[in-house]
Amino acid sequence: MSNLHTLLSEPARRAAQTLFAELGGARSVLVATADGFELTHVGEAGIDPARLAAIVGSFSALGDVASRETRIGTPRYLVIESSEGRLAVRCMQALGQSIVVLVLTDRSVTLGLVWNCLAETERLMNAA
Amino acid sequence: MTTMPPHKIVFTGPPGVGKTTAIAMLSDIPPVVTDVPNTDPALRKEHTTVGLDFGQVDLADGQCVRLFGTPGQLRFEFMWQIIATDALGLVILIDNSRPDPLDDLATCLDAYQHLLPTMNCAVGIGRIPDCPQPSVDRFSELLAARGLVFPVLPVDVRRREDVLALVDTVLIQAEMRA
Repeated sequence: MSNLHTLLSEPARRAAQTLFAELGGARSVLVATADGFELTHVGEAGIDPARLAAIVGSFSALGDVASRETRIGTPRYLVIESSEGRLAVRCMQALGQSIVVLVLTDRSVTLGLVWNCLAETERLMNAA
Repeated sequence: MTTMPPHKIVFTGPPGVGKTTAIAMLSDIPPVVTDVPNTDPALRKEHTTVGLDFGQVDLADGQCVRLFGTPGQLRFEFMWQIIATDALGLVILIDNSRPDPLDDLATCLDAYQHLLPTMNCAVGIGRIPDCPQPSVDRFSELLAARGLVFPVLPVDVRRREDVLALVDTVLIQAEMRA
């Protein structure tokens, strides 16, 4: 684990636990570096956090390049709306580093609430 | 006049071998890159590809080739499979200055083993002037041991003609199969 990962892991763990506790309907929360390394994971078993971190890293990078290609600026959120639930990803800066926070929810949660909680997660990460 | 459909050729290989550079050297359009800051100290580079690279080149004979690059790290293997879907050919890039280039090739062959029997493929070995071992023949022997016969060429990914030679090699195989 690099020094950067060590530096980010504890604030990421706290922020993920808070997000998971406060967002009813959340099934998993994952915080990862932009290059696809898991920093922390809270939530349901059966998910491979290392593999999901890599997938989210690719997903957010593709979202970023799609935003640039279409000249709509810097992506803030990416969503996968599926039949049984949602994956919502917020791309953010924490302690000067690009990270991604993923929350997996069931379909009972409104997206607005997810956005609010993820914005709070960014504040928590940077208040650390 | 009929327009030939574009071909899809995928550049793959371990991290740091120059896949992004190779595509940028050959592409006629500004390449699409998904590089992000690298946080892996073992990789010793500032940025790394985590999604894909994309470029396009129009060849003199009217063929349009779309160039896709994979992320290098094994943790992105899911992208290797996605990107290789429906590809006409595969260019495997190996860096001879890495600790075990033969193992790097073996990793790629394992990852694409289900595609290789029918895939047009070329292997480019980089940094041979500085690191002549293992020789090109050793890579060919590794391929032969798996029942594969693909051209293995020395390459400098900063030289457009070298990258083009790899693409041409793949296209020639495709023509021979057609």
